[in-house]
Amino acid sequence: MISKKDHFTPKARQEGLVVQELADEVLVYDNKRFKAHCLNQTAALVWQHCDGKTSTKDIALALEKKSGSSVSEEVVWLALSQLGKSHLLTGRVIPPAGGAGISRREVIRRVGIAAAVGLPVVTSIVAPKAAQAANCLPSGSSCTSSVQCCSNLCNTNVCA
Amino acid sequence: MTESGRTNRHLGETVAGILHGAWRRNPPELELAESELDRVTPLLLASGAASLGWWRVRNSNLKSTQSALELQQAYRLHSLQSALHQSEITDLVSLARDAGAEPVLVKGWAVARLYPEMGLRPYGDVDLCFSKESYAKAEAAFANLDRTRYQVDLHEGFSKLDNLGSEQLLSRSRPISIGGMEVRVLGEEDQLRILCTHALRHSVWRPLWLCDIAVAIETRSPEFDWQRCVGRDAREADWVACAIGLAHRFLGARIEGTPVEQRANALPGWLVRRTLKNWSAPFPELYPPLSYTRPFVTYFRDPTGLVRTLRMRWPDPIEATIRMRGPFNSFPRWPYQVANASRRITMFLGGLLGTGPKTG
Repeated sequence: MISKKDHFTPKARQEGLVVQELADEVLVYDNKRFKAHCLNQTAALVWQHCDGKTSTKDIALALEKKSGSSVSEEVVWLALSQLGKSHLLTGRVIPPAGGAGISRREVIRRVGIAAAVGLPVVTSIVAPKAAQAANCLPSGSSCTSSVQCCSNLCNTNVCA
Repeated sequence: MTESGRTNRHLGETVAGILHGAWRRNPPELELAESELDRVTPLLLASGAASLGWWRVRNSNLKSTQSALELQQAYRLHSLQSALHQSEITDLVSLARDAGAEPVLVKGWAVARLYPEMGLRPYGDVDLCFSKESYAKAEAAFANLDRTRYQVDLHEGFSKLDNLGSEQLLSRSRPISIGGMEVRVLGEEDQLRILCTHALRHSVWRPLWLCDIAVAIETRSPEFDWQRCVGRDAREADWVACAIGLAHRFLGARIEGTPVEQRANALPGWLVRRTLKNWSAPFPELYPPLSYTRPFVTYFRDPTGLVRTLRMRWPDPIEATIRMRGPFNSFPRWPYQVANASRRITMFLGGLLGTGPKTG
């Protein structure tokens, strides 16, 4: 949804995703792209507030309330950028006017290194290298059983 | 002992060290050198114990090492897999019930649920057992199942798992809640016995199996009936006690005050040594069925690799003892290995001549 910065209300994608919440992170498996992602606590909180009605400003406020410390809207945009690239949002993420995009380095520069620990991180989960060295199928290969895959995850006949 | 024997033993002991108490919500503190972790991480990954390895490492000073991060990735993937399986199981059970067939969920999820987190214990397929009467209905119901989405094995009865009759196992099964639905699993005594005999039948090559035994013991209910668990057959009861003994000796499973404690603390040396040797190379492709890379009859036409395959097919002493229903005493194992090999050759030849089932 293209809108002014203050009224951008991101929406989390629901369809085709399997979500598993762990103690410190949230795991998401994309059934359509056969990819697995890991969201740290901050990224997960942002994603969970992406209901299509809550603005980025309000998401930042929610993070502040949760963390007990100040959270700039840039942190939310950084999370949205990563979530968007991972196809976990519906629609495009349009960065704030005047910005070419939010980079992690830029956000760290602005919020300070001390706050960098709580920055959102969305990473792809890949099969461990040691497993790939064994006689197993790499990600994206056709499979009939999870034991065939290096990732130990065969879904709809494709190794994650 | 040879140099390679010492190396194997050390590797096996290191694997045991990492998995010691790993099935507990708060496992004991880990003290391990980074180089040792690097050496055993491929073994944990190959044998499905990577999640448990991460569970131990995550609160140690090794948690940020490259090997630990690989274990963590495996833990994440296994956690996702368990979430995927959960929705599959409820679909499959519903499908069976709609056809009038009541399944009992065995192996996989039924064992994983005992762990603090389902993702700690990976599994592949969903295994459902049915009574002989309802198996046909289940087969018909699953005939058009989308196999690209569901990986399920249907079993008629329980004969592949246990010697106890299907009726008794069914009558002792109990309902467990999964995703808001009640699903039947084996009684805890039967499950522990089957975990023990299964591990031994497959040479205990996978350390994860002893973790299963350990968690099953430590999460048993106060009403756990040991007599029901070990059964009436003295030989099999001894096997069960020895398997539990291995879980205690290598992984620290708590067995104090149990009827098997004495026997579990008096294991034959060959059993301990062989388990450690197998743990030094817990790769699925080294054990049946994956070690059978091609049907044996093809070696008559093309003997390439025959010597290697004969070496790989030589019966493991633990497996041979179980298959020949031998005792776990301190006598040499080669008579059981020879007997087991002879039996398999006889069956193979019988299959060739059309007089019996083929093997290998």
